[in-house]
Amino acid sequence: MHDGTCIVLDNGGANCKIGLAGQRQPLLVFPNATGKAKGERTVYVGDQLLEDRDLSSLALRRPLERGYLVNEEVERAVWGRAFKAVLPRGAPASDCGLLLTEPLLNLPAIQDSTAQMVFEDFGFASLLATPAPPLALAAWAAEAPAPACALNRAAAGLVVDAGFSFMHAAPVLGGRVLGGGVRRVNLGGKALTNYLKELVSYRSVNMMEETALVDAIKEAACFVSGDMAADLTAARAGGHRLEYVLPNGVTNLRGYVRQPGAPAPASAADTPEQVLVLGNERFMVPELAFRPSDIGVAQGGIAQAAAEAAAAVHPDLRPAMLANVIVVGGLARCPGFVARLQAELRPLVPDECEVAVHMPADPMLAAWQGGSQLAASPEYARRAVTRAEYEERGACFLAA
Amino acid sequence: MAVVSDAERTQAATARLAALEDDDFAAVADAGADNSDDDFLVDLGTDDEPELGESAPRKRRKSRGGGAAGRGPKRKTRAMLEAERRGPRTFAGLLEETESASLEEGGPPPPAYTAAAVGPQVGAATRRWCSVCGFAAPYRCVRCGSRFCTRKCYGVHTETRCLKFVG
Ligand SMILES: [Zn+2]
Ligand SMILES: [Zn+2]
Repeated sequence: MHDGTCIVLDNGGANCKIGLAGQRQPLLVFPNATGKAKGERTVYVGDQLLEDRDLSSLALRRPLERGYLVNEEVERAVWGRAFKAVLPRGAPASDCGLLLTEPLLNLPAIQDSTAQMVFEDFGFASLLATPAPPLALAAWAAEAPAPACALNRAAAGLVVDAGFSFMHAAPVLGGRVLGGGVRRVNLGGKALTNYLKELVSYRSVNMMEETALVDAIKEAACFVSGDMAADLTAARAGGHRLEYVLPNGVTNLRGYVRQPGAPAPASAADTPEQVLVLGNERFMVPELAFRPSDIGVAQGGIAQAAAEAAAAVHPDLRPAMLANVIVVGGLARCPGFVARLQAELRPLVPDECEVAVHMPADPMLAAWQGGSQLAASPEYARRAVTRAEYEERGACFLAA
Repeated sequence: MAVVSDAERTQAATARLAALEDDDFAAVADAGADNSDDDFLVDLGTDDEPELGESAPRKRRKSRGGGAAGRGPKRKTRAMLEAERRGPRTFAGLLEETESASLEEGGPPPPAYTAAAVGPQVGAATRRWCSVCGFAAPYRCVRCGSRFCTRKCYGVHTETRCLKFVG
């Protein structure tokens, strides 16, 4: 067993979060993708995509499909760059452990090929592949004011991961996911971005090839409605109107929200600006997280997923789960998400259960932070698979 | 006047939902032949990163593909060679493989993936939104089944969108 460095990698569908065990924050957060601009030959890998450049027409290639690692070649390129960046100078990967998040209910074939990459391509000394929800719960518990309170929070909880590829509700007990209770909505942030792209392209400006830009617009403009009827009425009267100034490729590379009544910038005369006007799209798009049926997905939304997950665990555990619902993932940050989940979940579960929905300080980084704690604890060595064990027995037992 | 059959409507709706999972790579790749998959990859050159890209010592396994590992400037690992032999993977394909393997006796238990999907929406009527403006839509286009809210939106729909989604 290695006794040195351990890299912690939360390998999300949208972003990689990578850093060293025991640290509070990851060293790098960057798109889990390679990409290139239209008409250019240069390929940008991972963090290179973050460099200040025009978001327009940047085409991305992602290694994860529906949250699962399918394209190893792309992932190898992204990881290779990232590992090199975070490994301390001179430290070979063969002296280094890796804590890697893996998707819930991963497929054996993907577990095999992932372990193969980690041990054979990169030569790590050990690997702990573990689902993200217990890590996120542990990170949230660590934010508790008193140690006793933290113990309670860490023991049992229902983690709602509103991620890029899909949304999950996962009951966690004693650091493990109760697999039989996991419920998934087949929509996530990616589908929402694509839906917004479709709506604005049809209604105002064609942005079908501007996924990265539309994603930025979604982050800046969208919110979860707390009262659909009222918000629709307000939107009809122009109440939710918002102007997004699109990038012009010169003075403005990423676009920005223009506050109503704000004067046009001084440079407006020489570089004509194109403005995207948003209305009910601002809340009708995130609405899909709660009502996938709005676009014909034959599934309930994230509140129903949480209720079904709670119903699937032993009745004695249910109150503890519902009193400790933790939301993480990119969509969790959408304003109004937590309140809406709380409001929708309440009537779906038994009256006698208290329902409390919480969000960790950074819902995007919670899983990484929990992973960092785990990788720095003695538990890492107990649970990790060493390279020698892998060579002896193959990857099949990683699932345990 | 052409009317779209239920089957075509279902097909169009399914395609539209599938498109929501697309990366924009697909659109770009379709647009030009020079955007092949390989263009999105970079060499994991071994010369400037000795600690990476190096495969672990293999004790009990033989490297498939023989001497390929030592040939040329870019060394391929066993995983790379296997991936090459296998061709591109899709999640749907892997899921199907896992499912059929579990049907055979002695296979691993069926993947929990499928069982974990949330069931149909409960306790609320399906809401209908105007395909043009997004507000509540009481009406339906008789030709294609899309929803619309007013005569005005119906006009926009028939001019710009009706039946465009098929064929
Ligand atoms: Zn309308
Ligand atoms: Zn029509």
